[in-house]
Amino acid sequence: MVRRVLSLPSGRIAVGLLVLIALLAALGPVLAPQDPLATSDNTLASVSWSHWLGTDYLGRDTFSRLLDGSRVSVLASLEVALVALGVGAVPGILSVYLGRVFEWGTLRLADTLVALPFLLFAVAVTALLGNGLTQAMLVTGVLVSPLFYRVSRAATLAVARSQYVEAAIISGASVGWVVRRHVWAKVLPPIAIALAQTIGVGFIIVSSLTFLGIGVQPPAPTWGGLLASDLGYLDYQPWAPLAPAILIMLTVWASNLLADTIRDVSGEAGRAFVTHRRDVRSAHDASDQNATAHSGGAR
Amino acid sequence: MTAPVLQVSDLDVHYGLRRRRRQALQGVSLDVSAGETVGLIGETGSGKSTLARAVLGLVPSSGGRIVIDGEDVSGYRERQWRRLRRRGVVQYVFQDPLRSLDPDLTIEDSLVEPLLIQGVSRREAVARARTFLDRVHLSADLLPKVPGEISGGQRQRVAVARALVTEPRLIVLDEPVSALDSANRVQVLEILKELRGSGVALVFISHDLGSVAGIADRIAVLYQGELVEVGAAAAVINEPDHPYTRLLVSSAPTLRAASATRAEREELRALLSV
Amino acid sequence: MTLLSEKPAAVRPAPTVDPVLSLRDVRIGNPHTGAEIVHGVSLELTPGKVVGVVGESGSGKTLTCRAALGILPANLAVTSGSIEIAGADISTLGSREWTALRGSTISAVFQDPASYLNPSIQVGPQVAEVLRVKKGLKRREARHRAIELLQAVHLRQPELVYSQYPHELSGGMLQRILIAAACAADPQVLIADEATTALDVTVQAEILDLLADLRDSTGLALVVVSHDLAVVAQLCEEVLVMRDGAVVEHGPTSQVLYRPEHDYTRLLIDEHEQYGLHRFVKGKNVPEEQAS
Repeated sequence: MVRRVLSLPSGRIAVGLLVLIALLAALGPVLAPQDPLATSDNTLASVSWSHWLGTDYLGRDTFSRLLDGSRVSVLASLEVALVALGVGAVPGILSVYLGRVFEWGTLRLADTLVALPFLLFAVAVTALLGNGLTQAMLVTGVLVSPLFYRVSRAATLAVARSQYVEAAIISGASVGWVVRRHVWAKVLPPIAIALAQTIGVGFIIVSSLTFLGIGVQPPAPTWGGLLASDLGYLDYQPWAPLAPAILIMLTVWASNLLADTIRDVSGEAGRAFVTHRRDVRSAHDASDQNATAHSGGAR
Repeated sequence: MTAPVLQVSDLDVHYGLRRRRRQALQGVSLDVSAGETVGLIGETGSGKSTLARAVLGLVPSSGGRIVIDGEDVSGYRERQWRRLRRRGVVQYVFQDPLRSLDPDLTIEDSLVEPLLIQGVSRREAVARARTFLDRVHLSADLLPKVPGEISGGQRQRVAVARALVTEPRLIVLDEPVSALDSANRVQVLEILKELRGSGVALVFISHDLGSVAGIADRIAVLYQGELVEVGAAAAVINEPDHPYTRLLVSSAPTLRAASATRAEREELRALLSV
Repeated sequence: MTLLSEKPAAVRPAPTVDPVLSLRDVRIGNPHTGAEIVHGVSLELTPGKVVGVVGESGSGKTLTCRAALGILPANLAVTSGSIEIAGADISTLGSREWTALRGSTISAVFQDPASYLNPSIQVGPQVAEVLRVKKGLKRREARHRAIELLQAVHLRQPELVYSQYPHELSGGMLQRILIAAACAADPQVLIADEATTALDVTVQAEILDLLADLRDSTGLALVVVSHDLAVVAQLCEEVLVMRDGAVVEHGPTSQVLYRPEHDYTRLLIDEHEQYGLHRFVKGKNVPEEQAS
């Protein structure tokens, strides 16, 4: 699967970008040239050698704050995605096998969660449990989980009714065997798609919350927080919001691109799609005569 | 003839609950002996697939008895069924070779699956799979391929090989050649014919009398959930008793035109529609 | 309606009648890549004649039919040869002329009847729609005529069937309705492409009987396409056997059945003789065997 995703240019771009952002998150605080919290008299400075992206209204180095803030933003969005995956996917698969009561209960629960607006809910929970990003993201993850529940349940249902699963059952396979052997491989691609999408969505939520000033105490930098404070000084630095905005956009875009690519290459059609592309490319590489012979043969 | 591999007596199967309860099978009795091929004929909705699924424990029966290989399975629960199935006594071949193999598994993985479930080691399972692939006249080159890379006829032969690896006493085949073209149909039928020598009992389900006539020892005709006729193939075809069997025989297309006249068919249809 | 349909050869029309459909060495391929899929099919259909086309899936039989109906897939075209419908060369037809021709001169029924009917509209109005569009009938007349058509395809209680939805009817009944719709505008040619394949054997026989009736009562010319030689043998006077896009055998049914020239035709016949009903019922049809 990984190899198939990387065989497409869009997959390479998406993965490359996400790896870069992950590196930023891991090493950002170390790489930051200056203390992101240190204030100075040099407020709202423009771009210079000492301040690559200038300074903010308290004279803090914007570039350092961006690098330092990447960790919180990335970790929080990952937290959303992973919580949603754990809370959603497992019950989704099991709902097909564990009998009526479990199925009915989880379905209604998923319906209920869908009905709650997660941004508002996250705000409410931080008000209740104290202003922490972890709590807010945990709640958001639970609220997004119906997506995983539905996706994995739908994929499992399709597989559970298939003849090859029936053939395995006739050979005496247990539920565990069927899930490991047949269901897993079919459910994984749609879950991976949902996961990549959720990372994007999670990123937007984190950015929105921090933009609103929820979840993180003021001096600590985040991308959403930077965007918010930059917007207050548009008169002096009209270009300032660009850097955090572009970073947020790039991350979300890369996640969605990755989701699209996984969808393109997964399953039977995806296998054919990738093979076809490889054929076409090798045909192009070969001489003209060979190329026509090859595509003729593929028909 | 040895003791029957499959004994079905007075079997009832119902679908649905309470007011929507419908009877799918009514008082069906059928014995299948070792090494025997029985053709089970019926139209859509006649209950032929229901009978097969009841024998495999996939639908519960509401009355009567099913004995498989001397074991009365009538009141079996899921756990007991699983134990019985793991012995590999009964196997099933589906109609559509496109969907009966997992598209993501290699042919080898599909073939060894029933053996791995039994707890056979991977190495031995692969060796057995090769033997049975040979039995259905396929080369071992196919083992690392996925179903999408081989033809429909090959897939159906792989499905037959998968049913054979556990050396079952009984194989139920649900329209195994309907989805194949002529050349492949003949090949699969040849393989099934060869199997009869090995003592395995076959139940060959079809809607078309013509497609089982050449291979079945006995023919059983299901009509609206009841077994209306059972007998030696030649007898059922040459001297059909029930009007539906007569209509079946007279409707089956043959190269020398139908065996009954149009008027006879009309008469039989009128008889049945009452 | 006549019941004299057991021996189609008895009603063979005089050879001087103009053909309603004629294919001359029709080749179908992708004009851009030059890949050819159908390598030359010729057949001639006069009113009341029934021609059978036998072949596996992928043999080009369906493409040939689609070419005659002018509904080839986008990347394929007739690359050489000609197709004439009622004297008009189809390569000269514009889309308006095609629309006029389809339904009223040439018509077709296909394998899976349920997918050709709108599941959310009653079946009767779907037949009546053809009458209103093609014959310009008023709503009430169209309904009346549609019920007559449903009766003509031997549906019991045509008024009841008229107001039923596709899911309430069996595959055999749906196929009858499609035949009724296909014949609504009195076409001269009906192409039945695997029209009985998905049906039970007894229902298949009914549909074949129905097609024979229509042929006898209206002089409809039929192209019966099937993968089963026996189905074609029931009804047709002339048979084409196709394989891999080429016609490997073409001739009167009795000749193809009793003196096959190509190995593939022999395989098809052998299959029936070895595994079919054939070996049991052979004894019953001595006169027909003598007839060959």
